[in-house]
Amino acid sequence: MNTDTPKPPFTPKERLLRVLRRETTDRPPVACMGGMMNAAIVEIAGNCPATLPNAHFDPGLMAELALTVAGKTGFENLAVPFCMTVEAEALGIAVDPGSLACEPKIVSEPYQSIPEVPDLDWESLPDAGRIPVVLKAVERLAAAGTDLPIIVSLTGPVSTAASLVNPPAFFKELRKKKEDAHRLLSRISRFLGEYARRAVRAGADVIAVGDPSATGDILGPALFEEFAVPYVRDVVRAAHEEGAPTIVHICGDTDRCRAFWPLMESEAVSVDAMINLAKLKRFLPGIVTMGNLSTYMLEFGTAAKVARRTETLIRDGVDIIAPACGLSTGTKLPVIRAMTDTVRSRRREA
Amino acid sequence: MSEESEALFRGLSDAVVNLEEEKAVELAAEVVKKNIDAYEAVDKGLAHGMDRAGRLFEEDEYFVPELLIAADAMYAGLDVLRPHIKADAASEPGKIVLGVVEGDTHDIGKNLVKIILEAKGFTVFDLGRDVPPGDFVKKAREVGADIIGLSTLMTTTMPGMAEVVENLRAAGLRDRIKVMIGGAPISSAFARRIGADGYSANAVEAGELAARLLAETRAAGARAVAV
Repeated sequence: MNTDTPKPPFTPKERLLRVLRRETTDRPPVACMGGMMNAAIVEIAGNCPATLPNAHFDPGLMAELALTVAGKTGFENLAVPFCMTVEAEALGIAVDPGSLACEPKIVSEPYQSIPEVPDLDWESLPDAGRIPVVLKAVERLAAAGTDLPIIVSLTGPVSTAASLVNPPAFFKELRKKKEDAHRLLSRISRFLGEYARRAVRAGADVIAVGDPSATGDILGPALFEEFAVPYVRDVVRAAHEEGAPTIVHICGDTDRCRAFWPLMESEAVSVDAMINLAKLKRFLPGIVTMGNLSTYMLEFGTAAKVARRTETLIRDGVDIIAPACGLSTGTKLPVIRAMTDTVRSRRREA
Repeated sequence: MSEESEALFRGLSDAVVNLEEEKAVELAAEVVKKNIDAYEAVDKGLAHGMDRAGRLFEEDEYFVPELLIAADAMYAGLDVLRPHIKADAASEPGKIVLGVVEGDTHDIGKNLVKIILEAKGFTVFDLGRDVPPGDFVKKAREVGADIIGLSTLMTTTMPGMAEVVENLRAAGLRDRIKVMIGGAPISSAFARRIGADGYSANAVEAGELAARLLAETRAAGARAVAV
């Protein structure tokens, strides 16, 4: 019998893409979306020729590290980059390269006010900084011919804007200088959208957007709706235009904003540990849920405890099992394996 | 208190809570011009308004942008009034050393705590973000702090909080200086585990906690003097 629909056992790529299309699978995938939530822990990157911080700057090393991370952790995807400063660097912001244990971070925000931001050459920004490094790494990963899906993780528009402008001033000006704020965010989301399109053309299967500053905790529902939703949606739509599904990660206790999530048009949302995903699924039945194993538990908990928590997430029907937030680089491999092995040994009745 | 000054205090309070910086400056100037007590204008006007803004923040009516703009209004009014506050008007303010623990550069929460503490009359020594544990104790000793406040957003920095408590103990200052902690990944259980004196879930609670800890310290100090 020959049909176009793949039958179990699915490859990890088929499984993730089927879940994102809300099609049936044998079990949930276990994934890690990369970027600010990467799994390049010291135990892996410190024992690999593609070490950090070097792999942030070289496409070959970046691709090799992504393959090594997937191989060692058991996460069923490849993910690049390993930081959330690629976008900021393309905008010309100075970035501290970090170290093995510490991710790159921006040195300081160059502007004190939104109107100070000059009109950059937004269209050519995807050629700037390390974006070409990420795109070449994606090409290499695609050429490697594994059956793992490639996720490229972008820093969202609000967080990118808040790395240009001193955050307290930026947040105040979302209220006080709305027009300037909208103008800046629409330009940034155009830039990010172009980056997303190029990432898909380079071979990315899924685009993830993490926008930690765009949380209801900071903005409140009104500003979240006004400034986070439309610009994250722009990036999501850019990925969709190229045929790639998306995951949007939302930080913090965002229950107060969850009614707005579907407006971002992303197939999946990934959430922090404090969100009850079983409840969220009932509230937003049309959205694929991803998460949300506490990264505190992953760093300080035992393998047994992590395995039990993973079982609970599977039982709750979480669609993609994943860490809830950025993994500490001090997290130990056996604990991560407890999470991934628990999912991978699972066979759900189709 | 005259009706006129009462109206000005209410106006100052409203200016802060309504996020009207220019109005706060204008009314503060009027306080000065009319020779009304500047300390009272801060206490019953600006700080009162900040307190109301803080309550709205707790009730999810205000969020970070609103609280920051309210603080701007308070500080702008304060700049006008401060030179006119009589030296003996305020009681000895509590001193608090505040910072984000090393490894974390998120300081929005810490900045909110600072605003609320200053509105409550504390003198705040802000060490900023990404602060090594040793610096907290050093600064606290140097300025004679009553409290050390530690903030974090990242689980990775939580051991650094325990280290500060440990350093304080090693320096023999544990009975004299209280430690309060807060931030998204923290809980009161964690505070108890590392031997901190208190935990607060948000900036407004942090202000109340600091006031309570200061009162405890001062009561203990008074008892010690009486003995």
